[in-house]
Amino acid sequence: MSAPLKIVGANLPRKDAVEKVSGRALYAVDIDRPGMLHAKVLRSSRAHALITRLDVSKALMAPGVRAVLTHADIPKHFMPVYGYFIKDQPIVAVDRVRYVGDIICAVAADTEAEAAAALALVEVDYAELPVVASVEAALADTAPELFPTAPLAIQPAYGRGASGAMRPRKNVCYQFNYTTGDHAVFASADHVFEDTFRFSRMHHFHLEPFVTVADARADRIEVWASNQNPFPLRKELARIFKVSESSVTVHVHHLGAGFGSKNNCKTEPVAVMLSILARRPVRFCLTMEECALTNTQHAAVLKLKTAVMKDGTFVARQSEIWLDSGAYSDASPLVAEKAGYRIPGPYRWKHIDTKCLAVMTNTAPAGPFRGFGGTQASWASESQIDMIARRLGLDPYDIRIKNVVSLGEAFVPGESGMDSDLKVGLDIVCEHIGYREPRQLKRGKGIAIGFKDGGGIKKAAQARVRVLTNGDAILNFSGVEMGQGLRSAMVQVVAEILNLPLGRVTAPAINTDHSPFCEGTNASSGIAVSGRAVAEAAAKAKRLVLDFAASQLKCDVGELDLDNGVVVQGTGPNAQRRPLGPMVMGFYGGPGFEFTADGFYMPAVDHNAPLESPCVFWEMGWGAAEVEVDTETGQVKVLKLVASGDSGRSINPLVVKGQEDGAAIMGYGQAMFERMIYTDAGELLNIDPLMYRVPLAEDVPPEFVTITQEQGHGPGPFGAKGGGEATILPIASAIANAVEDAIGVRITELPITPERVLAALDAKRAAQGQS
Amino acid sequence: MTDTTIEYDLNGRIRTETVAPHSMLVDHLRDQCDLKGAKIGCSRGVCGACTVLIDGKPVASCSIFTFQIDGTAVLTIEGLGVDGKPDPVQQAFIDSAAFQCGYCTAGMILLTKALLAHNPAPDRPEIIDWLSSNVCRCTGYAQIIAAVEDAAQRLRTPA
Repeated sequence: MSAPLKIVGANLPRKDAVEKVSGRALYAVDIDRPGMLHAKVLRSSRAHALITRLDVSKALMAPGVRAVLTHADIPKHFMPVYGYFIKDQPIVAVDRVRYVGDIICAVAADTEAEAAAALALVEVDYAELPVVASVEAALADTAPELFPTAPLAIQPAYGRGASGAMRPRKNVCYQFNYTTGDHAVFASADHVFEDTFRFSRMHHFHLEPFVTVADARADRIEVWASNQNPFPLRKELARIFKVSESSVTVHVHHLGAGFGSKNNCKTEPVAVMLSILARRPVRFCLTMEECALTNTQHAAVLKLKTAVMKDGTFVARQSEIWLDSGAYSDASPLVAEKAGYRIPGPYRWKHIDTKCLAVMTNTAPAGPFRGFGGTQASWASESQIDMIARRLGLDPYDIRIKNVVSLGEAFVPGESGMDSDLKVGLDIVCEHIGYREPRQLKRGKGIAIGFKDGGGIKKAAQARVRVLTNGDAILNFSGVEMGQGLRSAMVQVVAEILNLPLGRVTAPAINTDHSPFCEGTNASSGIAVSGRAVAEAAAKAKRLVLDFAASQLKCDVGELDLDNGVVVQGTGPNAQRRPLGPMVMGFYGGPGFEFTADGFYMPAVDHNAPLESPCVFWEMGWGAAEVEVDTETGQVKVLKLVASGDSGRSINPLVVKGQEDGAAIMGYGQAMFERMIYTDAGELLNIDPLMYRVPLAEDVPPEFVTITQEQGHGPGPFGAKGGGEATILPIASAIANAVEDAIGVRITELPITPERVLAALDAKRAAQGQS
Repeated sequence: MTDTTIEYDLNGRIRTETVAPHSMLVDHLRDQCDLKGAKIGCSRGVCGACTVLIDGKPVASCSIFTFQIDGTAVLTIEGLGVDGKPDPVQQAFIDSAAFQCGYCTAGMILLTKALLAHNPAPDRPEIIDWLSSNVCRCTGYAQIIAAVEDAAQRLRTPA
């Protein structure tokens, strides 16, 4: 691949551009099936209660109702619960509800309005149980046990230094531990600093809700889902409804975004069960309020104990993280693993000791959210590193540069080496923020490095490339398009390898009956995992075509190349050009032939790696902010926000920039105002989209700059890495660091509200008054 | 309340229909007219994914009854670029990669049409002010703002 690239690296219009700007792009919300019914569910108004009576008899008789689903209606041989590692979430409530919004029962009717009207006739009596709406409450000795019986669970496997435990204590569904080095080094350090940080939870606020259309019978299930992981979904549906996996078909078209939430089962089990009961297709589409009750980010409390030498050399870090997992485990074990693993940051330590607890509470279930535990970890880690630098009288830039791992260096034993030069990235954001310039009054500048292992653990992906008779190509693969531009980028990769214009390559929508396997589109794995399978399939397909042409032309395959569906023999002015079509039809006959090749990729398993598989690539995000703080009102104004990621190599630079912009502004919303507010009674106060505030165009800082680095060390095609999560990671800590730089107070809890800034200023004044 | 017969212009064609009093415009467009370009996001008039133009003005179609459009002209995303060529605003969104998941895109494009009809040369604060009526959760807005500026330029200097 020494020839200059033509298509990879070009800002070509995305393959889905025309359909998306013309309103023709198909989403699961748009699916309509003949005879389709509409589902609605009754949700708990109580945060924690036993259901003492449930009477659906009036709902059954209501106009338009075709089926009513309660736990009693689920056949005994079905699995009435689901979950990634812990099967703890019931399709509909079994005997109790565990949060406001928990599903009690469901109705399928001719119209949504009729379904909603029928649900109003359902009678429920509750016997209230004590409520724990925060991690502290749930861990208290007096807390009620949310799961009196242990749910079925599968423990993930780990390599060197890492371990996990199911239900290690009351209301903890999972604990992840990681240790390396000798604890004794704490005694040799000059300083040990202990700090606690709090992280608020966001709602994903994907505009397309959770939605499923299911057409199911006892022996056959077909769903149209808005889901990032069609194959794991197929497996889970087969498991729940006791059919063969080959009897389950999952269709995935465009997703109206997900940001992590559209993993595993959400609306699918209710839709399928109602369809089985009604013997009709059923559409189950949530409102945005219901989405907020279905999956959220993990709120967290993060306690760090960090040992350093007085010159700023890092020695050891001990940490304990409590993640608020909500009422059901969802992906919490995995998020706990990642938050715990990432808390040291990309630095050299002699000793690391981390514990991360996934704590069950009577709040909405938390699950995957862009950053996946890394956002929580980066918030605490990068805040504390700044605090330590200031306490030691060192520059926050210098302390980072002194301790960051070098290019190629592993941050813990058994890991893959760092594949970005971290100093290069930090220098870029420092230069853009004017880090070395003198500060103006009440203005400050902060920096941070976001860090996560990207690409997932032991994720497998396959792909298939078909070259048609005339040289056109079809790419079949199962990376889900949720806005990130993956499917279009993969078409660019195939077009580059086959030397075809973009218009001659298509990648049709996913259907698990025909599309090659993929573990799922998450962990920014699309480019680096699916991408390798796609590139391999394209290269093999090209070779098949050229081998065929060489046999026809009775020449050496090394003399041949492809150019826009033409076989080129030789180079320069004497090159012979022969269209592929006639050559293929001459051999195979008029209808022609397809050259089909498969690609596969799975990261190596290595028990020396703490997570049993060395990280596929490191997803690094650098951030810098300049703030102005009004000390009268506590208002923090971000004057300038700078974010940078390392794409390795951008397949489509404009699309990569869009990812960096979007992730950075999501991080900015988290830093400044976004949060789901729960009362101690488990009531979500700002569930209404009017009350839950996400960034609007007017919220974007007046100067907002993203810079894509292409350092070239990625494992994906042409050196690419994933990048959809990088720039959410450093934003909140960069802003908090800038606030301390401006006014000398530290905000340790997100979001950085005026009230918290004023309280910190008051505390500082009080402390000064005492001294 | 009873059903109402209304007459209105939908993407340049006059339609006469009888609609239920509780019918919301977005449902009418999606379910009765089979125009799926307007999307339902929040159902509260907050996110703007369902934006359509009524007599040239952007309206959240989730928050208006269908009978209210009697006698008006309604433009949806399907009414743009009907001559087989994308509208200049659509082309600007394509060239600036001003969309990701695409769910808000129809609303953003129609909002831009209305803005540029109101002021063909908006400055950046005016663009930001208008765009702030709709939510895009994916892009961080920078590329959408760039697309609006590009569209204004294209409309001022026809190719």
